[in-house]
Amino acid sequence: MIIRMILSRLALAIVTLFAVSIIIFWTAEILPGDIAARVLGREATEEAKAAFRKRLNLDRPVAERYAIWLSGVLRGDFGKALSSQREISEVVGPRLRNTLFLATYAFLLYIPVTVILSILAATHRERFLDGVISSLTLIGLSLPEFVVGTALIYIFAVNFKIFPVMSLIQTSKSFIDSIRLTTLPAITLMIAMAVYSIRMLRDNLIEVLDSEYVRMATLKGMPRRRVVSAHALPNSLVPALNTMALNIAYLIGGVVIVEQVFVYPGLGTLLVESIFLRDAPVIEAIALIVSTFYILANLFADVMGIVLNPKLRTS
Amino acid sequence: MDTTISSKNVTAKKTRAFGLLSRIRRLPRGMLIGAGILVFYLFVALTGDYWTPYDYNQVGTGKPFEKPSSEHLLGTDQLGRDVFSRVVEGTDIVLYLALTSTLLATIIGGVLGLVSGFVGGWFDQVAMRVVDIVISIPFLVLGLLLISAAGPELAGSFQLLIFVIAFVYAPRIARMTRAVAIDLVTRDFVTAARTRGESIWSIVWHELLPNATGVILVELGVRAGYAPIFVGALGFLGLGVRPPIPEWGLMISENRPAIVSAPMAVFAPALALAVLVIGLNLFTDGMARLLGRTAINV
Repeated sequence: MIIRMILSRLALAIVTLFAVSIIIFWTAEILPGDIAARVLGREATEEAKAAFRKRLNLDRPVAERYAIWLSGVLRGDFGKALSSQREISEVVGPRLRNTLFLATYAFLLYIPVTVILSILAATHRERFLDGVISSLTLIGLSLPEFVVGTALIYIFAVNFKIFPVMSLIQTSKSFIDSIRLTTLPAITLMIAMAVYSIRMLRDNLIEVLDSEYVRMATLKGMPRRRVVSAHALPNSLVPALNTMALNIAYLIGGVVIVEQVFVYPGLGTLLVESIFLRDAPVIEAIALIVSTFYILANLFADVMGIVLNPKLRTS
Repeated sequence: MDTTISSKNVTAKKTRAFGLLSRIRRLPRGMLIGAGILVFYLFVALTGDYWTPYDYNQVGTGKPFEKPSSEHLLGTDQLGRDVFSRVVEGTDIVLYLALTSTLLATIIGGVLGLVSGFVGGWFDQVAMRVVDIVISIPFLVLGLLLISAAGPELAGSFQLLIFVIAFVYAPRIARMTRAVAIDLVTRDFVTAARTRGESIWSIVWHELLPNATGVILVELGVRAGYAPIFVGALGFLGLGVRPPIPEWGLMISENRPAIVSAPMAVFAPALALAVLVIGLNLFTDGMARLLGRTAINV
């Protein structure tokens, strides 16, 4: 039963991914303007333009081009970038690696910060510390990533000079150096994600702390610390896992802005560059990669929900 | 006789006025603060053009990147334009873009969600599959795709930005309102209306909409709270409104290179944006609490 449910979600995710690829291809390919004239310049002869269109299959109908593109993508071949004429996998690969490094770093910061702050808020409910944490998360919710990032740059890169203003990770020579270059963008992403889940996990924790079995545990003399760690936390983590998975999904989209703030050479900055260059194949490739991660994160959240929720399991 | 009636009327009026005041006083404190902030922004948006010391696009009112002074409250930017005037005159642009796009999204998404939930069947299936697919593209990436697809002629136009934000939001709102509609259609009053032979539109308008107003209002508030950030993010990336329009996200990105010499040119628009969003969020949060719901902001 449970395996069937998971398999059906998986099938649904694959179908969704195909549909998304159609939307992406369609929006990127209807970019107005003559791609040939743009790439070859205004002085190009008609013959040169015609040859260029033929080489890129631009003279064929959209449906056929989509089929050609998709069969390439499934083999891992995204074609060539219009602007640089390099293989897209070569252009996108290193950027993807940088973005994954940043995302992983941010996520590793995010988990302890979320868990610790929400436990503090829940155990000091309606008292000073809870008030401080709640106000800070409310302010955090209202601050765009580009404001948080810029403020962090101003404080830690301009005033205190602990971290560099720009996160040019391609210049880093060692792992430690990479960590130093990526710290500010990772903190920015972490803050953007944590403000949601701290509020969420705090409310879950309070609900569990109010439940009868937790009171029972307290009444039979179990120390507070153990009540929280053995009863409250595990039970409130289940619904929070869903938020965390959705946060991974957010992380993948929010990374575009954060990378731009820190001039971090990841997928996000490449996407924005490619939009300015009107480089449709690169835009398609990035949008598809990002959406794939997004769909997988959502799938993961769904599956976690099924696996961990006994009610869903039997129904 | 006459006097008693009139005095009764006076007391009735008094208690009514007092009732309103005490009702306002009983509103959540956060909501009142939020409402105060929003009224202030509305006031600035409507009157800002009349009392700013300079025009937002007046170049060379001082040297580039001047420090704040009595002449330039928040200093100047790279073209010597007055930052204070630009932040103030950007208010109506940000509010206009954020609110119209959210309103448009709420109307489209709300109608789609209610009709879809009420009609059910293949229409519901198809509509919700499409909604799910559109939601499966991260919203910023979808926004950027749409902007790049619109091409250079439309780039930076207000209509395009409003359309893009509405297009990104509408499916998310549709999903929310559909869930409410699905719950409502099983109720007796909807069955009664159906038996009376009322049309789909009449049922959606008279039976479903009034009962879904709370959810739709909270959705509207939640989305409106994020819309200024969305507008600012696009401006920051250079894909939103075009210079010299004083949109705050664009100003932040324009003035960032000089953050060392003129930090106010960056932080003034950032603060304006943050306080607006805080106001919107506080107001929505209070409203949601009054309506007995929680604002889920995903």
